[in-house]
Amino acid sequence: MGCERVGDEGLRADMMDVLYGEADAAARARVDEHLEGCAACRGEMAALRGVRRDLRAWRLPVARPSFTPRGLYLPRWAAAAALLLLGFGSTLGVTGYASLRRSLAAQEARAADLERRHREEVRALEAKVARLPGASFDSATLLAGLDARIDERLRASESRQLGRVDVRLAGWQEQLDAQRRVDMARVAASLSYLDGRHGQQLARTNELMGYVLETSARKR
Amino acid sequence: MGRTDEELVEACQAGEASAFDVLVGRWEDRIRGAAFRFLGSEEEARDVAQEAFLKAYRALAGFKREARFSSWLYQIATNLCRDRLRRRKTRATVSLDELEETGSVIVEMRPGVHDQLLQRDLARAVRRAVESLPDEQREVVILKEYQDLTFLEIAQALDVPVSTVKTRLYRGLGQLRLRLEGEGLRGAAPVPAPAP
Repeated sequence: MGCERVGDEGLRADMMDVLYGEADAAARARVDEHLEGCAACRGEMAALRGVRRDLRAWRLPVARPSFTPRGLYLPRWAAAAALLLLGFGSTLGVTGYASLRRSLAAQEARAADLERRHREEVRALEAKVARLPGASFDSATLLAGLDARIDERLRASESRQLGRVDVRLAGWQEQLDAQRRVDMARVAASLSYLDGRHGQQLARTNELMGYVLETSARKR
Repeated sequence: MGRTDEELVEACQAGEASAFDVLVGRWEDRIRGAAFRFLGSEEEARDVAQEAFLKAYRALAGFKREARFSSWLYQIATNLCRDRLRRRKTRATVSLDELEETGSVIVEMRPGVHDQLLQRDLARAVRRAVESLPDEQREVVILKEYQDLTFLEIAQALDVPVSTVKTRLYRGLGQLRLRLEGEGLRGAAPVPAPAP
């Protein structure tokens, strides 16, 4: 005979709470009351408890102690790939920095070219003004102002580029730090595991020695 | 008395980077264990654990304490396992026998060869049965049975309501029961002696 409340999600939820010891008093009372009058659910609860016992048979493999830190162990192909990736990353970093420097130099060249053209235009204007009757023109002041503006632009551009380089370098550094922290923690965990194993082995040797001594004493 | 996870997270967020080492030491084995049961490969489980901690470390500044740190960590690890399983499914099907070869099943040594063999058979059957569950049920069964998370923690880790967790678990246990009974192994585990 099946349960009349077979589709009752609330009851199933209560049963799960009871099965895993998370039920409050009210849920436990509801389940007890139902189980008292329902043989099907009593059987089901017993079967689910049995399943839970069976599930315990699947254990994790015992971690093998290794003198190579677990976090750093890699198969050969993965190690080769990692080296390749590292090389690639470094090359990218170096070439990235070099390309930034190149772009700065190109900008400087463009600015110098611009300055040369401006000077020519100023000279042309100066000549034109000089030809005008009664006109006077202070070309030195004009050129100094122009120089100052060009210098200012160059400085701003250079500081922008350097700022970008700094941000990128900081990002790489952060990633390296994170990786290093995790690796160090794994090394520490491996060492503490080995310590534990060593202690167990010592205790076992002591136990065996005690047994041998006891047996030999008995024989005597 | 050591600091709680939440205190360590707070310390990390305040700039004490070494506090994260403590969190790694505290949770690495459990995360790796869960990943092993999800993926069936020790090597992949190790990678997932490492990746999960890296992700957590990078995202720690934005971690809001709405959920527990452990639930958040399980969420990251579960998502990484899901990604790997998805990729695996699109590439090829891994046979269960193959999985069994790569991950050794260790059973406790018991007196009597017969008992030992029975235990080993049961362990293999359980593993096969768990691996054959639909993903949603398998995740819940693993997190509940082998990681001892509460229903609320599982709900936070999987981002689903608690009622959904219970329904999936109920169905998962039902499926496991049928599969183990089908193999004639259900109930092979020794019944623990009642408490005195």
